[in-house]
Amino acid sequence: MSIYIQSASHISIQKPLSEAWMELPIVPDSAFMKSEEPDYKPFISPMEARRMGTLVKRALATSLDTLRKGGCEMPDAIISGTGLGCVEHTEKFLNAVIDNDEECLPPTSFMQSTHNTISSQIALRLKCHGYNSTYSHRGTSFDSALFDAFMQLSLGKIGTALVGAHDEMTPDYFLMLSKLDYWKMDFCHLGQLRKGEGRGSISGSCSLSMLLSSQKQENALCELKDVELIYRPGILQSRHAINEVLLRNNLSLKDIDAVVMGLSGDCDNDDVYHELKHHIFQNVPTLWYKQMFGEGFSSSSFGVYVGAVCLRVGRIPQHLFYFPEEAAMFQKEPRNILVYNHFQDRDHSIILLTK
Amino acid sequence: MGADETYACLLAGRSGIGKMKYLKSKHTDLPVGEVPFSDEELRENLFIKEDASITRTSLLGACALREALVSASLFPRDKSWKMALVSGTTVGGMEKSELFYYDFLHTREKDEYIALHDCGACTDMIGQANPYGFEMMTTISTACSSAANAIILGANMLKLNRTDIVVVGGTECLSKFHLDGFNSLMILDHEPCRPFDKNRNGLNLGEGAAYLVMEREETACQRGISPLCKLSGYGNRCDAFHQTASSPDGEGAYLSMMDALAMAGLQPSDIDYINAHGTGTPNNDESEGHAMMRVFGDAVPPVSSTKSYTGHTTSASGGVEAAISILALIRGFIPANLNFSEKIDSLDFTPVTEVKQGVELHHVLTNSFGFGGNDSSCIFSKIS
Repeated sequence: MSIYIQSASHISIQKPLSEAWMELPIVPDSAFMKSEEPDYKPFISPMEARRMGTLVKRALATSLDTLRKGGCEMPDAIISGTGLGCVEHTEKFLNAVIDNDEECLPPTSFMQSTHNTISSQIALRLKCHGYNSTYSHRGTSFDSALFDAFMQLSLGKIGTALVGAHDEMTPDYFLMLSKLDYWKMDFCHLGQLRKGEGRGSISGSCSLSMLLSSQKQENALCELKDVELIYRPGILQSRHAINEVLLRNNLSLKDIDAVVMGLSGDCDNDDVYHELKHHIFQNVPTLWYKQMFGEGFSSSSFGVYVGAVCLRVGRIPQHLFYFPEEAAMFQKEPRNILVYNHFQDRDHSIILLTK
Repeated sequence: MGADETYACLLAGRSGIGKMKYLKSKHTDLPVGEVPFSDEELRENLFIKEDASITRTSLLGACALREALVSASLFPRDKSWKMALVSGTTVGGMEKSELFYYDFLHTREKDEYIALHDCGACTDMIGQANPYGFEMMTTISTACSSAANAIILGANMLKLNRTDIVVVGGTECLSKFHLDGFNSLMILDHEPCRPFDKNRNGLNLGEGAAYLVMEREETACQRGISPLCKLSGYGNRCDAFHQTASSPDGEGAYLSMMDALAMAGLQPSDIDYINAHGTGTPNNDESEGHAMMRVFGDAVPPVSSTKSYTGHTTSASGGVEAAISILALIRGFIPANLNFSEKIDSLDFTPVTEVKQGVELHHVLTNSFGFGGNDSSCIFSKIS
């Protein structure tokens, strides 16, 4: 059974619902980057939009856009990943509980606060009674959603799946995470991320939707060959898991044209990738994407997205190469791209994409 | 706590719903299904140090996980098998965040709890509290059907050989956030809840955790374990009707039960007992009741909601009720639905009001429905 990524749409710190980042990436200039909002009118009436939280609005726009591009009116399944869910509403209700001492609380923000609001609002909009689920597992929430969709497509339980990753970074959450060294507060240029000195990265709110299908259509981005999740692996188990993925798909490391990694500029985060590079991927060019989309619980989805777009276009733009010397040497049209992400060296994901 | 104590309570008709003791809410008049142990007692039980930062959701989860592993002869761990953990939760570490929120934003006192707030952090901590070395883990958050969806993901993983053994379920503790949230929706009963009763007036919020250990038949065979039962079918559908209300005809519930039956290759008449979602809210019980009548016609099997014993344990409920369904299956009894007195006008059936012992059950269906119309059903069957 072959599984294809049919289409994908995003709202992020790059130009929304667009692949403009391939040619002209917006270069971040601060640690707290706001997402570019698209014109919502084609997707949501202004009246609806006023009632909706930011995250649900973005999720609906990217979902409807990717379904349109993929020529699908009704997916068999809707599966989302979100590390924090609808934080905006959660904070609103939490503040009300504290400020009003548990009295006279309006239910609206509570109703909108649960993580599964995103998947269910998409289902409501589409009147989709199919499989519906939500993963909330930190930095691999999206990877878990993709894993679920991949398995159900492989089992033939479904033929299409709308898979998404949606997280917003509110100012309060940004502040809280800054106390845990999540951000380079003095960030002003990309060189700081490539050096990977000290803790922290730059934040980005990410919404991404993609349509998976077991039937290939024109303009498909690529084939999704495999999704593997592993926990606290260590380098030996990582190597073992990568080999298993390759073996299952009759490939070897030399067939992999590039590896997309979640390098972010945070020294602890990047050390894991440097070790992988040193022990496993010495001869595989390294691509990165967080310099363009920022770090967040949903950002791993952009690793898959970036890899998939490169496979469709048949070219890897220079700015995606982490090592400039690898960019200079890279000539070919990519066929197989491996996406490797981890969250705090706990949850790791390995995703194989093929032209 | 534990399967034997749960069994004893279900036989004796002893509910765990009562006055709140550990939750520090001002709404003390609301009955809750609180686990009768303090955080300190739960820590002691797990040998977790006094000064280690951990949330109550994780403590409850870790206790349940350990019991599940012991009963599956997997504690201590046998490294020859690949193991995964799939856990459901929704409020995660909120019970601490709501206490420390001021500190999160203004002091450095409670910084260690910031990282413990999210759902995934709870699963991570549960895995660590049982120093275990799972090869994979993830977290599902579909509100009150989270644990049921964990069962479904785990089963798909086993089918595709992505793991040898998978531990699935969910955990959730009481929090002001949750209690006040349900209260703001005006769906909390000030009396013990009355599922499927004409005068039912809402749910009682509960807390808890439950995990099931699932493996393929051949793995159990190789490990020399005799399984308790078989997961013969499951369904997950979306009601796609309203963010927090169920449709009048229970479309999502109907579809998820039908999917589970079809997958199990069973007729509706094969089901011997339904452990209903049965929250006790006017909306849920009527909608679920109609969905059951659509599936089972005028032969609805014995039904009860054990939320009258536990309260609504939200994200954990799919696990707690799966565990109760399996107990019923293997020990041959049907738990009673407490506090019932009068039939709902529009429904043709009434729930079981007296515990029935010494019954032979072959197939048990359990429903878990959540906000957002996330409806899931599982069927557990006796191994012939």
